[in-house]
Amino acid sequence: MSDTVKVAINKLSFFYGQFQALKKITLPLYRNKVTAFIGPSGCGKSTLLRVLNRIYELYPRQHAEGEVLLDGVNILLPSQDLNILRAKVGMVFQKPTPFPMTIFDNIAFGLQLYEKLPRSELEARVETALRRAALWDEVKDKLNASGTSLSGGQQQRLCIARSVATKPELILLDEPCSALDPISTAKIEELIYELTNDYTIVIVTHNMQQASRVSDHTAFMYLGELVEFGLTEQIFTTPGNKRTEDYITGRFG
Amino acid sequence: MNTGIYARRRFINRIFLGLSVAATAFGLGWLALILGVLVYQGFSGLDLALFMESTPPPGLTGGLLNAIVGSLFMSIVAVAVGTPIGILAGTYLAEYGRYTRLAFVLRFVNDILLSAPSIVIGLFIYEVMVVSIGHFSAWAGATALSVIVIPVVVRTTEGMLLLIPNTLREAAAALGAPRAHVIRTVTWRAAQTGMVTGVLLAVARISGETAPLLFTALNNQFFSVDPNQPMASLPVVIFQMAMSPYDDWHRLAWSGALLITMTVLVLSIIARTLESRSEQK
Amino acid sequence: MVAGPLSLDAPPQFSSAIIRRAHRRDWMFHRVTQASALAVLAIFLGIMWSLLSGAWPAMAAFGFGFLWTESWNPVREVFGAAAPIYGTLVTSAIAMAIAVPVGIGIAIFLTELCPRQLRRPIGVAVELLAGIPSIIYGIWGLFILAPFLQQNVQPWAIDAFAGIPVLEDLFAGPPYGIGIFTAGLILAIMTLPFICAITRDVFETVPPVLKEAAYGLGATTWEVLWKVVLPYARGGVVGGIMLALGRTLGETMAVTFVIGNAHRISESLFAPGTTISAAIANEFTEALGDLYVSSLIELGLILFFVTFCVLAAAQYMLYRLEQRAGGARA
Repeated sequence: MSDTVKVAINKLSFFYGQFQALKKITLPLYRNKVTAFIGPSGCGKSTLLRVLNRIYELYPRQHAEGEVLLDGVNILLPSQDLNILRAKVGMVFQKPTPFPMTIFDNIAFGLQLYEKLPRSELEARVETALRRAALWDEVKDKLNASGTSLSGGQQQRLCIARSVATKPELILLDEPCSALDPISTAKIEELIYELTNDYTIVIVTHNMQQASRVSDHTAFMYLGELVEFGLTEQIFTTPGNKRTEDYITGRFG
Repeated sequence: MNTGIYARRRFINRIFLGLSVAATAFGLGWLALILGVLVYQGFSGLDLALFMESTPPPGLTGGLLNAIVGSLFMSIVAVAVGTPIGILAGTYLAEYGRYTRLAFVLRFVNDILLSAPSIVIGLFIYEVMVVSIGHFSAWAGATALSVIVIPVVVRTTEGMLLLIPNTLREAAAALGAPRAHVIRTVTWRAAQTGMVTGVLLAVARISGETAPLLFTALNNQFFSVDPNQPMASLPVVIFQMAMSPYDDWHRLAWSGALLITMTVLVLSIIARTLESRSEQK
Repeated sequence: MVAGPLSLDAPPQFSSAIIRRAHRRDWMFHRVTQASALAVLAIFLGIMWSLLSGAWPAMAAFGFGFLWTESWNPVREVFGAAAPIYGTLVTSAIAMAIAVPVGIGIAIFLTELCPRQLRRPIGVAVELLAGIPSIIYGIWGLFILAPFLQQNVQPWAIDAFAGIPVLEDLFAGPPYGIGIFTAGLILAIMTLPFICAITRDVFETVPPVLKEAAYGLGATTWEVLWKVVLPYARGGVVGGIMLALGRTLGETMAVTFVIGNAHRISESLFAPGTTISAAIANEFTEALGDLYVSSLIELGLILFFVTFCVLAAAQYMLYRLEQRAGGARA
């Protein structure tokens, strides 16, 4: 574990109104590595993910306490600009979320937010993003078709392309394959592997095999607490905690 | 099993189900009768003159041109004023204000306005516009209609926006888009068809409104497109002609009534088709 | 898998000018939508204020006595709202007495009995009819229904009930055709599709498993409706009926054509009368004198107040239903 830390989560607690969903989580996310959050439903793994880009702020009565240092800067400070934070932290959701616009515009949407790009460069960037998401060959002839006309797996890769296009520093994947068939899932897992060359990735998943396949580090969470964190190999072969062992061997959850 | 009790229960069942069939026949019968008479009475008057000539004095021939133009003018102004306000207000209720107490109150008030007596809206515009300007005018009529348009558009806009899944908003926000940008480029677009439906329903609603025009736009025997003057409208002209003792005015009133009904039905059918098509997506 | 070497150049820099502009636009848009939403409130308060200020002279002149004075005399400038209030209440009561059972009956037919192929067309027809403007019902009432009642129904009813206490007075002659009864009937026909549509919507919120469970116990269709569907949907149905009542009370054009505009309270339902909205529609533009105009506006104020209470109650019931439905989903 000698890699550099991209995000340092420090004594992070999270509340939905009165209910405490996260209890003093402390956890590092390493640069250009994939970290998987696993645990039974309701353990707080998605909540933790949603703190990393403060998307929870769209809703009232939810708040976080503690520290999340992104490159040493605490993103939980009120002075942090949320739009900029989210532009730096990409997110892909459980269900594909293509915007109701063309495939091209779906990608261009994020690109045009903070950059004024000439048309030729915009097109180049859209192509690059679609290539990175391994979608280019399938859609290059129908960039003006609606994003919603694609298949589920293609839509999800479109969403990944959309996140990648803005060159984020961190990509959050919230159970990105749970709504997909095995072939699409395999494509996306392969894609995640490719992306680690350039990105730091966090993936929430309820699928043990997937976590062991794609991640470098794994955090096992239970009832809002971090039970165990370590190299994926170690967590899956010699878990240090009884509950972790029970969970990954399928004895509960 | 006690067959006596069961027979009794079946008998009661038959009686009440029979009553519900009778209620359907009764209710639909009335409504079919109304539409039938309307077509029968109004159809013969649907000729070119109806659209080419203005309302005649009793005994002469004429049409409803001034009323049709007046209705069109005031409806267009009302929709042009009411739609943006309604859409923006509905957006506030569904997006910025969704969880606030203010939105709760505004939603309540809007629902009251939605069903409030339209004649009271006429009185309101009379007090604030006709009295202060000093005379009846098409502007006042159009304003009264826009007061009816707004709650309808607010309601449908809010409803449609609430149907948009939150993950779509989150996905756009997660790219760093400011909230206003998310709403305008993603949420509105996703709710587009539903919002158009709302506007169509609002047009259908005002095209037959009479009460709020009676003492705002008043009426005008002659062709006029001056919005500062009283202006004729189909419903008010129908009212006036139907209450008159002249047969040829009655015929014109029937034709006007048929025109309005057809307009409303066509608008509602388009709105329904749009709605069901967007639901299928 | 990734074609070609696609190196990642430096992440974009965020200029503070762009950030400030985004914030400004966000703030502006927020305020514009909020102002529009407040415009709805402003309209509501504006209606209350204009009615209150317009009605003030009449309120000062007649006090609360306005509510129970029957006299309506423009020449002597003595005005009272008793007749229009009475007319409004009685016509709405007639309308509800007819439209509620029939409307619920149709809704039952549509949800439980109707063959599947007919369900959608009839349902759509009912909803389309709910959108037909009231003036159409009014003109039909004036030219078709009123003469028909005058020639065929009213003389028969007057004869039939003669000699029976109470009914004899309710259905007394002469048969005018137009009047309270005809207005109530027109209102009933007009409200019918609305009640039917809203009841059907409420019925459809009843979870199918509840009905299936009852059928599974061997209940008849009627028993399922009466003991399962109706109790479950009661709040919504009552709320829907209140909503319909709120609209009926304020309905103008369907009534104005056939009410006869007579400011008096008659025992007979066949006699001409007036309602609040009909009185305003008929007399407002012709009213001379401030007190006359002001009295008509006070009528409007009373109408607004009453419909407000009814609609608020309706909304409260529908809101509770929504809460429950939301709770059941969660």
